[in-house]
Amino acid sequence: MEKIERLINLTAYLLESGRPVTFERLCRTVYADVSSKGPALHRMFERDKDELREMGIEVRAETLEPEGETGYTIPRDEYYLPHLELSPAERVALTMVSRLFLGTGTPFSGPAHSALLKFAFDVEGGVDADAVPHVHWVGVPRDRRLLNAILDGLTGHKDLRFSYRSMGSSEPVQREVSPYGLFNRRGSWYLVGRCHLRREVRSFKLDRVTSPIEVNRKKPHKPDFEVPDSFDLRSETRWEWPGGTGGTARVRFEPRLAYGFSGGGARVEGSRRREDGSVDVTYVVEDPEEFVDWILEFGAGARILSPPGLVDLAVERIRGALEAVEGNA
Amino acid sequence: MLNKIGSRLNRILLMVPLILREEGASMEELCDALGAGREEILADLDVLFLCGLPDYGPGDLIDRRILDDRVYLSMADFFSRPLTITTDEALALLVAGEALVGAGFFEPGSPAGSALKKVGDVVPGQGRGSAEEIARHIDVKLGANPGRWWEVIEEGLERGKDLRLEYYSFSRGDVTSRDVEPLSLVTSYGHWYLLAWCRRVEGRRLFRLDRIISVEMIDPTGDGRSDDGLEMPELVGELKPGRNAHYVKLRFSGREGRRLLEEWPAATFTEQDDGTLTVVLRTRNLSWLSRYLIRFGDRLRIESPKKLRKLVREAASKMLEVYG
Repeated sequence: MEKIERLINLTAYLLESGRPVTFERLCRTVYADVSSKGPALHRMFERDKDELREMGIEVRAETLEPEGETGYTIPRDEYYLPHLELSPAERVALTMVSRLFLGTGTPFSGPAHSALLKFAFDVEGGVDADAVPHVHWVGVPRDRRLLNAILDGLTGHKDLRFSYRSMGSSEPVQREVSPYGLFNRRGSWYLVGRCHLRREVRSFKLDRVTSPIEVNRKKPHKPDFEVPDSFDLRSETRWEWPGGTGGTARVRFEPRLAYGFSGGGARVEGSRRREDGSVDVTYVVEDPEEFVDWILEFGAGARILSPPGLVDLAVERIRGALEAVEGNA
Repeated sequence: MLNKIGSRLNRILLMVPLILREEGASMEELCDALGAGREEILADLDVLFLCGLPDYGPGDLIDRRILDDRVYLSMADFFSRPLTITTDEALALLVAGEALVGAGFFEPGSPAGSALKKVGDVVPGQGRGSAEEIARHIDVKLGANPGRWWEVIEEGLERGKDLRLEYYSFSRGDVTSRDVEPLSLVTSYGHWYLLAWCRRVEGRRLFRLDRIISVEMIDPTGDGRSDDGLEMPELVGELKPGRNAHYVKLRFSGREGRRLLEEWPAATFTEQDDGTLTVVLRTRNLSWLSRYLIRFGDRLRIESPKKLRKLVREAASKMLEVYG
């Protein structure tokens, strides 16, 4: 019998039976055709329960009177989708929310889709899908495996191991990180965690991870670390800044491109139009590298004025590109 | 995240209620809803056919019939209502909800908040490993609020109006006027796009919001779109480069070359044994590509075409002059 059939039969029986079922009874029913016996069979049952728990199906154990045997059950009120009693406005909002990640390469797209299907069971006549504003996230599944590993680490509080090439260094270095959080800026994913090598909380850009991410498989049910109470993802993202000057940057756009200055990933703090029509813009910058990449796209039409660290980074990129084409010409 | 068996079991436990909800379900509906192919659905039905309740006699097993491409099930009433919202599902909703609140689509205290709370309340588990706890450690920021044009676009969507856009085309380097029927707002890699039916080219086009110079609401100038339904283009970028496109071959010294997927989703990527990455793509737009590639500095080699090397050299020299 295939494992999937066994799991379906186990779920069906424990759900339908209405009263707890002993392991002995399971051996004669769900597990009757299994070749394992004794302790091996019991371990199989434990693994099956773990598998179901991963999926959100909880197998409960109860002590049966009068013999004191253990019986197992899946409570119906825990298994079945409850009636959420959503108001029409809530349905619209939830439809919009669950649509955001549909069809994308993130680990959220599949679950968002099945959630949307489940909500339809709760709605008389369904939601008029066309009336819900469409907001979509579009991406390509380039980071899916890395993201899955990070989510596993975040969920089980397990350490992660991977090679990482940091900004300005040419060789990747093996890192061990206790994952504290995951965030996305301008479409790029970043892992935040305590780096065992640097002994502090750092942000790691997934684009710079040069190997698969390994989750520590030792003692899967025992957490490797605790996230400190003081940790706050939204304030704790520490960026590596070239030259150590963080915060704001100033850029001059030529008149032809002056329309475009507010479009990048950085927040505009202020802007000043000069006599010749060009515009000087001050940005609050998070990720300096993303920012420089964006400005470089404007070609000679935009120039970073400050801070020097970012100017250097831009010039380094331009020089590097120039040397590379001359080198392989 | 679920393993292979977990995902399959999840799909089967959702498929059964979809079939039982009404009198059966068509094969097409099931494939669409479950995002699975015909073969997979048939294989799942074969598995169900072998399952049931003790004593697993003929009268205890789930029965499936397929008539005129419609699937019917019986003896599966215990799975007639779906499994409750799972941790993975709640997590996806919480992350998406937060992102939309952050991008300004929902006010604090809006129906989205109360709906997500209802979802959170039905998900089992508290504390470590719960969806709410994990969601607190994930933050997706959808880039700058699309604010400036969103209201006009939304009104256009609601009232079935067309929009007249003044649009800066990066590839052409000039401003054009386009009449479009708005369909949806799309966010991709930190940029916001309007997905719209462009009357001029009679096709779906994505317009980057930060390149829209002005929007004006106008009465629809043409007939409604000829195609039915809203089908999201899965990828943004040059999907159909056309016959005149240049064939470009690049070699990167590291993984960051994968970023080209953002703009050229149809590119092919080959990882070499020495750790370098070869990327092949087709584009009509060498000039923009040359500026885009500068970000990779010396970690990039342009194998072909020669013209692209020349353009990068020109662009980089000009930029160096600007920086003095």
